[in-house]
Amino acid sequence: MERPQNSVVRTPIESIVAQRRSKNKSYRQSYRSCLGAASRLGHAPGWTARRLNTSRRTKSHNITEKVNPEDLALLVKTEWQLSYVTPLYQFRHTQLRSYSRQLSAFITAEKQQGLAVEVEGAQTSFRVSFSVVQGLGETDDDAETVLVQIHSKPVFAGKDEAQKLVWSGWLTCINGNPEYLHSLPKDFTCLPLFGSRGAENLTSLVKSWFQQTFDCCFGPLEINQTFLQWLTALWTNCHIESSIQHLKMIWTLPVEPPLQITYTVNPQDAWELWNSVRTPSLESREEEETARSIDIEEVTRFMQGLMSHFYRHFRLDLSAGRLSQVSSALGSAKFSGRVKMSNSRYVLTTLSLLTECALLKMPI
Amino acid sequence: MDNTVKRLLERLVRRIPSRMLKTTLDKWSRLTATQRQSIDYTESKWALTEKLLAICEENELTVKHIAELEMIHVIENPNLGMWHAFQLMDPQGDAHSVELTQFKEQFKSHLSELIRHVSIKIKKHTDEAVWIRIAWGDTFSRPNHLKPTYVVHYLQTPYVFLSSLTSKQKPLLSQALVLSTRYQAIKDANLSGRKLTAIRDLLMKQYLQVFPTKFPSPLAERNRVVSNLHIEKEQAGSAANRHQMACEAFGDGLLPQLQSAVYKLETKFRDHTNKTMTERDEPFRCVVKFASTNLLESLRHSASSGTQKVLKTVIRITIIVFCKEVSYVTITWYVTKSCRILTASLQVSTRGHQSPGRNSHIVMLLH
Repeated sequence: MERPQNSVVRTPIESIVAQRRSKNKSYRQSYRSCLGAASRLGHAPGWTARRLNTSRRTKSHNITEKVNPEDLALLVKTEWQLSYVTPLYQFRHTQLRSYSRQLSAFITAEKQQGLAVEVEGAQTSFRVSFSVVQGLGETDDDAETVLVQIHSKPVFAGKDEAQKLVWSGWLTCINGNPEYLHSLPKDFTCLPLFGSRGAENLTSLVKSWFQQTFDCCFGPLEINQTFLQWLTALWTNCHIESSIQHLKMIWTLPVEPPLQITYTVNPQDAWELWNSVRTPSLESREEEETARSIDIEEVTRFMQGLMSHFYRHFRLDLSAGRLSQVSSALGSAKFSGRVKMSNSRYVLTTLSLLTECALLKMPI
Repeated sequence: MDNTVKRLLERLVRRIPSRMLKTTLDKWSRLTATQRQSIDYTESKWALTEKLLAICEENELTVKHIAELEMIHVIENPNLGMWHAFQLMDPQGDAHSVELTQFKEQFKSHLSELIRHVSIKIKKHTDEAVWIRIAWGDTFSRPNHLKPTYVVHYLQTPYVFLSSLTSKQKPLLSQALVLSTRYQAIKDANLSGRKLTAIRDLLMKQYLQVFPTKFPSPLAERNRVVSNLHIEKEQAGSAANRHQMACEAFGDGLLPQLQSAVYKLETKFRDHTNKTMTERDEPFRCVVKFASTNLLESLRHSASSGTQKVLKTVIRITIIVFCKEVSYVTITWYVTKSCRILTASLQVSTRGHQSPGRNSHIVMLLH
């Protein structure tokens, strides 16, 4: 069980850990210990920016070549509520049809409060379909994205009315940390990011079915400050390719009564500010502007610039509050875990950021 | 009985809460004592409406009388509906000596000249406010009493508050107001909201704002219960300082309840750590909106808890800007002293309503 070595920060302790691994046991590596040795030594691992990728490559992807545009259309322009999912045990991409039937029966049974329902029965009022969105993963380690849709007849529908889509959700893993993915035992599939849209009761039914069937755990994904700041910077960076039309940030200050500040910046000015905080590129000139990697320091400087401009006028320190929402023409993201992607070109970048957020949030 | 009377009365009885119906009807004094006693206020609204309709028919009351009743209700509850503040500009010689009867006559005659069918009711309230109810008609139809406009004007001040005015009616009303108050123009004060009392207080400075040269430190009894002795002791000095500054800027008492303020800024970006942006010629454009259930209270609390460094002058200018008292001379002085600002415009509202229309470009000051 050779773990591939990669370029994450290495200390000598790391190699000792590798030696201790015996070939008979399979260790479930905690994500945190993959990134740093401190946790092995018993230091409390903190959710600091150090643990996150300190630099990212940003590239707009013309993913309509790779991905079916119809599937893509389902993902964009709607607001999703996000959760993290622990790895699924014995999830097979080949058994999707059987899963559809099982989930449909489960939902019907729950709705009817425990009456026995035939799994093969034809007349269930909920029709569930599991499908795979091919081509959405970036690396070979990423499991294929699974899309779940629930169709149902509206309550007072006529006899011949078609079933309408009442709930949809997806599980995905984009650019997941390869060390972590390789450390998982064989039967586990890692699809850490779960997005759902639709009635809350259906969401909880779907989650409990997954929990029962695959022995996994769901939890709310709160997009913390650092990730929201990353999104702000990433979206501003895309301005020259596709205009963001405005950069809107909503801060909440912990005063009595709570104060909400909406700070909207003109996109051209935001882009110029962003450009001015970029460290000059050391790479060759043929490299595209947008394909350069972005560092956390640049993001921090960008946010500092915006906050200091605000401070100069209002003498109010925004860092005392909390950034609770970022939105632009390319999408929006809220602290509560609601995300909307409006432009298909940046779906992969946003999803890989969120995958990382989910992986970090997972308790194991 | 006239259909309009019926509809107006029905709507009115629906709107007035049951507990206030009795007092409002008593104030109206169009019902005899026996009639008033015969009304059972515990009945359902529908039954009450029927009863009142019967009484009104008995007394042969017309639309004008019902309109009176509506006006009484609105005067008692000014914090409903959406009010917009306007300011009269360029007073003529005798503007400050216009008194009630003169204003009433002039307003009625001017408005009736401008529009043929219009029904006007003017009433003076105890606190120097003149309330006007206008039901608009046109050359072909009678006044529509179901969509009246209310105007509140404080004599000898240039402030007028309007509610429910359409854009077609606006020029007519403006003309009549300007002529009858002896000013030359009227403009939007960019202040609007549901609470008439709040925007009136803000505009006419009827709140407790203290700008003392010496502010006594808060009395010991007013301090909060000490939660952690050690922390409180260390922070006591600076906390007291902040509290003092907050009180100096915002005053100690109740603040007018603003719900949102929108600032549109076009100012130069200056940051000594960022040379490129500082040397840029174009302004940095952004829009900042503050929202809270009680905005000034939030700001005052943020000042006393330390998230905001209160500069009295910043807040003072903000409040004064609402009242349009700063003359252009003073503003220019601030502009030259501070870092190069271009313009900033300000829209303030209560209860979340943004006043549309042109923003006045008020130069804001910076330190």
